[in-house]
Amino acid sequence: MTTAALELAFRTASGRIIAALAARFRNLDVAEDAFAEACARAAKTWPVDGAPHDAAAWLYRVAVRAALDALRRQQTRERLTPDVPPPAATAEELLMHDERIVPDERLRLMFICCHPAVAPDARAALTLRMVCGLSVPEIARAFLVSEPTLAQRLVRAKHKIAAAGVPFELPRPESWGERLDAVLSTLEVAYAKAHEDAAGAGPHAGYAGEVMQLSRLLTALIADAGEAFATAATVHYAEARRPARVDAEGLMAPLSEQDPALWRRELVAMGDAFLERATELAPQHHRTIQAALQAAWCARSSLREPPPWTPILELYDELLLVRDDPIVRLNRAVAVAEVAGPAAALAEVEALDGERLANFAPYYAVRADLLARCGRRAEARQDYRALLALDPGPAERRWLERKLGELE
Amino acid sequence: MKYALLIYENEAEFGDRSTAAFQAHIGRHMAFSQSLGQKRIGGSGLNGVATATTIRTANGAKTIHDGPFAETKEQLGGFYLVEAADLDEAIAIARQVPVMGDGSVEIRPMIGP
Repeated sequence: MTTAALELAFRTASGRIIAALAARFRNLDVAEDAFAEACARAAKTWPVDGAPHDAAAWLYRVAVRAALDALRRQQTRERLTPDVPPPAATAEELLMHDERIVPDERLRLMFICCHPAVAPDARAALTLRMVCGLSVPEIARAFLVSEPTLAQRLVRAKHKIAAAGVPFELPRPESWGERLDAVLSTLEVAYAKAHEDAAGAGPHAGYAGEVMQLSRLLTALIADAGEAFATAATVHYAEARRPARVDAEGLMAPLSEQDPALWRRELVAMGDAFLERATELAPQHHRTIQAALQAAWCARSSLREPPPWTPILELYDELLLVRDDPIVRLNRAVAVAEVAGPAAALAEVEALDGERLANFAPYYAVRADLLARCGRRAEARQDYRALLALDPGPAERRWLERKLGELE
Repeated sequence: MKYALLIYENEAEFGDRSTAAFQAHIGRHMAFSQSLGQKRIGGSGLNGVATATTIRTANGAKTIHDGPFAETKEQLGGFYLVEAADLDEAIAIARQVPVMGDGSVEIRPMIGP
């Protein structure tokens, strides 16, 4: 019972508690250690005294005390430095008068973890750790790196934040543009990781919901940034389709073969609302067009309706005008194949810079499909084998093996 | 916090010091320096790498060499020492540093109070 209470508090509130501690003590290490200490005390006392009424508030309160103790011990050790007063409570905390409620500092923390001065490959991992409260092993599995490698990346990033003087405040309005872009890109990287595993059974899938929640939080707090609404729309549309991404036999289902009846309509509706706002605020932004692409798919109501390839191709043409990169061209080629035939699409894919797309799974997947449809079966098999070598999720693996079997 | 803003430019861009372009660049630095007011705690332009002498320590022995510590496309051409509340303010200041042609301004927090 009490173990369940601790697990529930941990699952639902750990990110919020760690973020609140980090904002209050202006130190990411202090926040992590204090939260771990509070969890250890909960594991010891809750089975004896029973779980507290508000588990999150209890953990936060105990962690604040643990952090203050740790800072005091540190000051005693470093007697030579003048006494530093304990950090003052944040404005949000003062407004609450007491610590019964955990202040929500996740947005502020997100901007710290995604500061342009933090190494790009550490931003998503640091955000998942400090803002979503995921453990190092969980994040390491999602990013396909070893735990020591990830731990080291996090240590370096935290050290940079502390030593370079990254402010624990929301950015000043004049630097919003660049900073928001880094936050949204990080959310997209984090979500892409959660999305790779179609069955949603792997370690990545657990935090897709967390990322979706963060995308909503951003729109609630930055009400005039169109691109934030666009990212929220994209994430909600993609998450809406999760139940249809694996068929009855456990095989990955490509987008055009997914049964729209299985899509979560409440998430599609939320996506629609976010997209509407994004279109009002930033109609030409690449993130808005990308969200519109997702919307075009989610507008399909049943498998009897033909897939919306023509509007999809038009949206890709529009996207190319604001963002011409190999990945956009690759995705566009999928629509070209349906509208103008596989030969035309294959010619476009073969014109792309293969080196820049090496190890990018969708590149091999798209090319393999087009090669097979153009009768170049041996080359198609080679691409499917390359895909299997990239260690796909279980549903993708079975789908690839079937494709390969069909070509033998 | 105190930060050093290290300016890396390609010396070849400067050409002759008597040129109007060079004089205008110096003018921009003077104006920038003025605009910093109390936030500027030090700094200077540096003579070119042709004037540099490097003392290298290897295996405990010190040897004297002609030239900079490394031959690079961009060279350290000058620096500012500034007082800023945090990295964001230092970045805002560094953005204003005049740079001749292409180049970089590296922001390094200084050790100590």
